[in-house]
Amino acid sequence: MNKARRRKDIMRTSVTWISAALAVLVLTSIFVFVFKRGAGTFSWSMLKDDYWSKNYLVAFGDVPANDFALPDADNEDEFFSRKFGFGLADSVDKENNQLMVVTTISAMSPLHEGTITTAGPDQGKVMAIPLDARIRRIDYLDQDNNVKSTGLLGQDHSAEGAIGRLEQEATAIREIYFQSTGGGIRGSIIATLMLIGLTLLFSLPLGISAAIYLHEVAPRNKVTDWIRAAVEMLAGVPSIIFGLMGVSMLFRVTNLFGITTQSVLLGSFTMTIMLLPLIMRQTEEALIVVPSSLRMASLSLGASTTQTIFKVVLPNALPGILSATLLSMSRIIGESAALIFTMGTAISDSPKISQGATTLAVHIWTVMAGEQPNFELATAISLLILVLVLGLNITVKLLTYRINKKWQV
Amino acid sequence: MDKEKKTIQARLDSFHSRKLWQDKIMKKIFQGSAILAALMIFFISYFVISRGIQPFLSSYGDEQQSLIAFISGDRWRPDISPPVFGVGFIIINTLLTSLGAAVLSFPISVLTALFIAKIAPPKVRAVLTTIVELLAAIPSIVYGVFAAGTITGLVKDVGNIFGINTYGGNSMFAVIILLAIMIFPTITSLSVVAISAVDRSLELGSIALGASQMETNFKVVLTSAKSGIFAGLALGLGRAFGEATAVSMVAGNRMVGPTWNPFDITRTLTSTILSGMHETSPGLDYDMRFSVGIILLLVILATNFMIQVIKRKVGGVTHE
Repeated sequence: MNKARRRKDIMRTSVTWISAALAVLVLTSIFVFVFKRGAGTFSWSMLKDDYWSKNYLVAFGDVPANDFALPDADNEDEFFSRKFGFGLADSVDKENNQLMVVTTISAMSPLHEGTITTAGPDQGKVMAIPLDARIRRIDYLDQDNNVKSTGLLGQDHSAEGAIGRLEQEATAIREIYFQSTGGGIRGSIIATLMLIGLTLLFSLPLGISAAIYLHEVAPRNKVTDWIRAAVEMLAGVPSIIFGLMGVSMLFRVTNLFGITTQSVLLGSFTMTIMLLPLIMRQTEEALIVVPSSLRMASLSLGASTTQTIFKVVLPNALPGILSATLLSMSRIIGESAALIFTMGTAISDSPKISQGATTLAVHIWTVMAGEQPNFELATAISLLILVLVLGLNITVKLLTYRINKKWQV
Repeated sequence: MDKEKKTIQARLDSFHSRKLWQDKIMKKIFQGSAILAALMIFFISYFVISRGIQPFLSSYGDEQQSLIAFISGDRWRPDISPPVFGVGFIIINTLLTSLGAAVLSFPISVLTALFIAKIAPPKVRAVLTTIVELLAAIPSIVYGVFAAGTITGLVKDVGNIFGINTYGGNSMFAVIILLAIMIFPTITSLSVVAISAVDRSLELGSIALGASQMETNFKVVLTSAKSGIFAGLALGLGRAFGEATAVSMVAGNRMVGPTWNPFDITRTLTSTILSGMHETSPGLDYDMRFSVGIILLLVILATNFMIQVIKRKVGGVTHE
């Protein structure tokens, strides 16, 4: 080999190495970006909080002042009320509004047992003031048993002022008006779970029976080929077209159930059709690896075709069907375009099957589409989605490896 | 004795006939599911097309649109009165961004595929295969957040170097890079299959004639795997055309076009279908999204057809 050829060879080898390195670089940068940006916002309270902040008026039945010890942890920004055992600090929200947030509550503080007096379904329930609650007003009794307020917006809305007034004048605490933090994704998590449950309920039986037909029952003829081709074509349709189909065709079906708006049910119907090619392909692959000797043995023992399918073939194909289920779940979690059309973009804290709601992915879309994109929340949800989706996919990979090992493929 | 035999026989018969009935019913159920699944593609086409052509029919009333103005239009203004819906420039911009992404992604994908299939040591191969699979599994909304957080910043910086003011980085360039990343796993995984399927004897023949392993890889293996690689390209292009959420997050949705400047904002068919979804109520603006949907389906069909033609011209000897 002469020099020129050798040089060319080295060049060729290096371009393939560089290309492969690029792929690694892209995946790494996506990971680094999502984890770095999202981890700061990601927290337990984000998972369990409502998205919309709510106002509460909580009464304490004029609990008299007590003498609480100062908290151990020293927090310079915090002002602590020794009479009622809670600390406040000043803060600002994303729109730069002044806030007064609860930072500590002593174990025996009266703030742990208030009664909600705001009108609504929660009225009369016992409620503890949560940490991070945004205090808007505190009502108390002074020495002469007059009701006074402090912490009002526009007057003395500062932690120092409010706590100072309490410490000087208050003899008993009457009511606190506050706003819950919001910004959580509990509603979207529930909606995602509902969508996953409903979609699997519809698509698994349909997809599995269709796959059984194609692999176990159907004659090898033109019609069967056409069915296969049609399902293959379905796999190539972009998800946004499924969304359009959902609102024009399946909307009529949900209308029969008396649902006149976008809904979780409509979303699940749409996802059912979208997942059919995936479930059918995965199930068929699982059926293919089941050795035909098992079928023969079952049939020769006098079992009918149905018995053979349900008692011999399907149990042996179960790991494959499980992978189909897991992959479907990962697709549902990640899907956005079709669901924007069929489930709407309004975030709901208490999703119902007959109403619109957002899944985690659409939740990202909604917070990013507004006038002021909420990038922190978007990356935090992305982090959750990424972990779930990649976890599911890796599980499937391990499962497939085990199946192949079992049948020695 | 005889009587007992008869009852046993009768019970066996009824058992068999019940089994046969069960078989028949179950077969019908399986068959019905398969036919229903197959019919879905026709339902989708019918419902999208039938709603999408409504605005161009005289039955639509005062707001009836002209088909020619729609196809050749250079502006999309649903916000003015009367609204103007021209999809012509959007088609051009969609083709520009998707083909741009394909040009960027295709060589890298094919080289990576060659690396995975022929060059990499077994352990590196396993890791890379997993990476490609994971990249394919990442949902488009996550790609969108990633693009809005990093790619747009990159484009903005590059624009600043050239003294071009970008719209916060939202641009055709950002869309192209995003789509190139998104179609990379599709083209790569199909190319890996195609390259692995090339007949080993061809390779050995080439080496026997004195070519080096790398020369064989580039001149024999890749050319033999052409048809499979082009199938991957077709699938990748299909994904690029149909990608909606991520693209919408960085496209910027230009109202007038077409956009030729890569640093200018752009508008694709999918971003048009999605734009302003939350403030739209049923009406002309809503129906026009279906019309754009038809165009999208036609573009994908036409691309697939063209790739088939190219495939036939360039040939290839992949054994699948």
